[in-house]
Amino acid sequence: MSELATQLEELRRRFGNAVAGAPDEAGLEQVRIAYLGRNGEVTQVRRTIGRLPAHERPAAGKSINDAVGAMEAELQTAQARLESLTFQSELAESIDVTFPAIPAGAGSLNPVRRVIDDACTYFRRHGFAVVVGDEIESDYNNFDALNIPSDHPAREGFDSFWITATLLLRPHTSPVQIRTMQQHRPPIAIVAPGKCFRRDAVDARHLFQFHQIEGLLVAQGIHFGHLKGMLAEMCRELFGAQQSVRFRPSYFPFTEPSAEVDTTCPKCGGEGASCSMCGGSGWIELGGAGMVHPSVLREVGYDPDIYSGWAFGFGVERLALARYEVDDIRRFINGDPNFLEQLA
Amino acid sequence: MRVPVSWLREFVDLPNDAAAIADRLAMLGFPVASIENRPSITGVVVGRIVELEKHPNADRLLVARVDVAGERPLTVATAATNVATGQTIALATIGARLPALTIEPRKMRGVASEGMMISAEELALPAEWFEDGIMQLDSTVELGENAIDVLGLETAVLDVEITSNRVDAMSVIGLARELAASYGVPLRLPSFSNPGTGAEPPGARPRVSIESADCVRFVAQRFGGIRVGAAPTWMRVRLALAGQRPINDIVDVSNYVMLETGQPLHFYDADRVSGAHFIVRDARNGEKIVTLDGVERILSEQALVIADEEHALGLAGLMGGMSSEVTDATTAMILEAANFNGARVRRMSSQLGLRTEASARHEKTLAPALAEIGAARAAQLLVAFGATAYEARAFGTQGAPPAPITLPVREVERLLGLDIPQARIIEHLEALGCSVLPEKADRLLVTPPLWRRDLLIAADLVEEIARMEGYDKIVPVVPSVAAHDVSSAQYDLEGRIARALAALGYREIITHSLRGAQPFERAARAGLAPDRDEVEVLNPLSEEQRFLRDSLVPGLIEYMATVNAPVRVFEIGHVFAQRDGRITERPALAFGFAAERLDEPAWRDAHFLELKGDCEAFLRDVTGRRDAVSAGARASFHPGKTALVSIDGREIGVIGRIDPRLERAYDAKLPVYVCSLDLEALPAYRLPHYRPPAKFPSTYRDLALIVDLDVTAQQIEGTIAGALGPICTGARVFDEYRGRQVGADRKSLAVRITLQRTDTTITDDDADAAIDRAIEVLREAFGAEIRA
Repeated sequence: MSELATQLEELRRRFGNAVAGAPDEAGLEQVRIAYLGRNGEVTQVRRTIGRLPAHERPAAGKSINDAVGAMEAELQTAQARLESLTFQSELAESIDVTFPAIPAGAGSLNPVRRVIDDACTYFRRHGFAVVVGDEIESDYNNFDALNIPSDHPAREGFDSFWITATLLLRPHTSPVQIRTMQQHRPPIAIVAPGKCFRRDAVDARHLFQFHQIEGLLVAQGIHFGHLKGMLAEMCRELFGAQQSVRFRPSYFPFTEPSAEVDTTCPKCGGEGASCSMCGGSGWIELGGAGMVHPSVLREVGYDPDIYSGWAFGFGVERLALARYEVDDIRRFINGDPNFLEQLA
Repeated sequence: MRVPVSWLREFVDLPNDAAAIADRLAMLGFPVASIENRPSITGVVVGRIVELEKHPNADRLLVARVDVAGERPLTVATAATNVATGQTIALATIGARLPALTIEPRKMRGVASEGMMISAEELALPAEWFEDGIMQLDSTVELGENAIDVLGLETAVLDVEITSNRVDAMSVIGLARELAASYGVPLRLPSFSNPGTGAEPPGARPRVSIESADCVRFVAQRFGGIRVGAAPTWMRVRLALAGQRPINDIVDVSNYVMLETGQPLHFYDADRVSGAHFIVRDARNGEKIVTLDGVERILSEQALVIADEEHALGLAGLMGGMSSEVTDATTAMILEAANFNGARVRRMSSQLGLRTEASARHEKTLAPALAEIGAARAAQLLVAFGATAYEARAFGTQGAPPAPITLPVREVERLLGLDIPQARIIEHLEALGCSVLPEKADRLLVTPPLWRRDLLIAADLVEEIARMEGYDKIVPVVPSVAAHDVSSAQYDLEGRIARALAALGYREIITHSLRGAQPFERAARAGLAPDRDEVEVLNPLSEEQRFLRDSLVPGLIEYMATVNAPVRVFEIGHVFAQRDGRITERPALAFGFAAERLDEPAWRDAHFLELKGDCEAFLRDVTGRRDAVSAGARASFHPGKTALVSIDGREIGVIGRIDPRLERAYDAKLPVYVCSLDLEALPAYRLPHYRPPAKFPSTYRDLALIVDLDVTAQQIEGTIAGALGPICTGARVFDEYRGRQVGADRKSLAVRITLQRTDTTITDDDADAAIDRAIEVLREAFGAEIRA
């Protein structure tokens, strides 16, 4: 037997032992690198071919290749064996899938924002823009331009926090109507969500700081039916398909005709005589609405004989109260973690 | 306004179901806050005591024979002390059901009693408003009648809300008028003719001098033969059901007429009005008057008074004065039924902090024509009670009648989207008392009735037509909205911010924008001197609402202190400041967390780094840019753990741990970390642009440097990047060590330098050369030693 053959036989013996001794796939890979890798033992042997006489070289090369072929086959067999071993142990793992989850990073939007977002999404789908305004407003934008001159009885309904003789914390979002109409020509189609302030005593149904969402559509040919259509669909969007909406005559200086808008109490579905949400009336009050008063249009330079429009202003916390069946409106301010978690 | 349905029924036929009436009122624009159903009472009849004697076996009992128009009088034993022969009373007969008991035959000390005489309380009326003992009925009612029906106690009381434009409906007749129009049934108005006649005694004829334009009408009428006593039971019961306590017949008549017609009245003791001459004038500055509530009030010229020739007798439309009050000694009195400018009454009412049932009506400006109606109604009642009425005299004017309004018929459809035939439009308007004349083919000339001073323009009439037709008849249509140029950008930014923070695990909270002085007090307690540039509210309801917040941070600390557990929250909201009299309002954002203390050396704070990571991720998401921080100081923040945040060189906020002294001042048990950003300073979102991955692989080398304590990671990273140029694609400090091995005034920083060439695979030699260069520069710049 040639020296090379002996060498190869010895190599293959050691290789076989190493393969058999490899505990896992990673160990086997180590063996492969040691023997068949770029600087492995086989390569060392191959380098010795150069020292052989030229005529012996092809046979030597062949015997090395044969050996490599055999080793690779051996490796493959071992690989298959160890692979199944790997899976065997991995597949043997078993857990209690009912174990409590590791909580995900629990961020959330405030329920007030969710209501606003959902309402705005609806209106934007119909071509409305969403506008925000300042919370400190002038009495002109807040009252005079909205057909509420000083001494008007309706000012009493807006018991406001005053900052100076002419600046106040807006008690409603309606000044955004004025700002928008002053800056744009019709058609106007906006919703304006935002924070408002009134000097109300705080209880389960009242906050002195709350949110309103205002809507305004002014163009040619806009009528009360459009107001009913938009708001009815908004309620179905926010509360569900079964929702009905009721419009009752009311009075606001900035709209004529005016309406109060109610929707079916989502808690009792309008059926609960002793429902804590609606007080048994079956209806939830959403807020006021109506056709924009001609004086308001005239004040911003729109011709009320050409343009008509409607506006509404709803209390967001009231909507959220009904939507999430919250018992007390105060929970929306400084909402504790449990409250936020439940409505996340 | 509490309205007994039985009172409404005097003027209009109504359905039996009170809930149906309430619904109808609501759909007319008068929501009913509550329906107070009366208890069901049966078997109570009107009876008269025809005989009364002592009980044979009991000193404290009486035995009465009560005529109830039956076959024979009934025998009734009673312990009441206010009974007498001839009295008309309500008798609960055998089998009668009262709220608390059922009447059964029984013997009282051997006498078989066939019923029970009853008191106001047993009829579920406020007992303290009526006589002690057995309730006395009016002698005119027919015996044997159902007493509950006679008193109007069978029907519900509605609590009706009336909007401020509809002062005409602040009365039983006003609401009855609305219901009659809506149901299409007749309104049965009483006659409003005044029974007063004849001449007063010499010098007693009332005169009125109106010296202020704010008094439009003043009807004065003298009454003689006054003997103040209790009003008849039917009136007292009605007033009680309407929530008005019966006082005496004079006061009750004025309340009754006000509730029924809407016209407030006032009675003066005729002997205490000097010269029977009333002067309506501005008060004199400093003029004093003691009003009926016993309060002495010092007036200004703003007040409008009714005076005699000597002094002010009362506040116009608001309250009378003590000096001319009708008392038990009064024998003659003068009635005032007046009409004032509502705005004037409103101003006076708010200045004096005094509001009455009368001012609630006057301040909305009544119809002048109502004054004579009110006087007539009062005169009818007083005459019926035995008084003598002299002639009513009206002063001032009737005011301008409501002006005719041109209503283009197509306006109805234009505003309502509902096609109502012209004939029906006319029908609706006429039902409400308007007179309608065709002006042209397609226009109507509509004159509102005297009592509707709120109808001024065509749109007002359209609302009336819609009310009569029913808002529910208007067909809902979803409009198609034309393109317009209003932007939603600001709202979108807020939404993007909120969602980015929610995704980072923060919950959104809303805290109070109005705050007390606590933030300043707490800062002071923590030894910090805050900038006092806050905006102040002139009229807070409480001290807790005095200031507008100038930062979101105090609200966040307060929240975390209250929760007292690890929590991650954010708030978006406006903050306010005032500098040199200029008020600013800016949108702001604050987010942060309270977290358990970590066991860390003084020079490391993983919580800070976590917040910084969130801040970077947030700004990347919202602006598409990378921010930079530099060490800085801000009041309220920890002096050694605070950084200023900037983007593209512009400072946008601050990030860090709250000053522990302030945490304690808020009673926050856990350390609080907050990032506070000015949203107006936030740059616009920049779209990222894609760069394909490098063609050639990168390599890296880690270095351990020993540097002085004040050398920052940012300096090391910047210096390396600057020294190596484009071959360096990253230099990032990933560890810090301090301790004995490096000496007290030095620290060890581990930095990973990533190297890459764009033209070929980087060789080890290239990399080593670059690292050598970096080391040299770091040595030069910071005296850095390289640790083996």
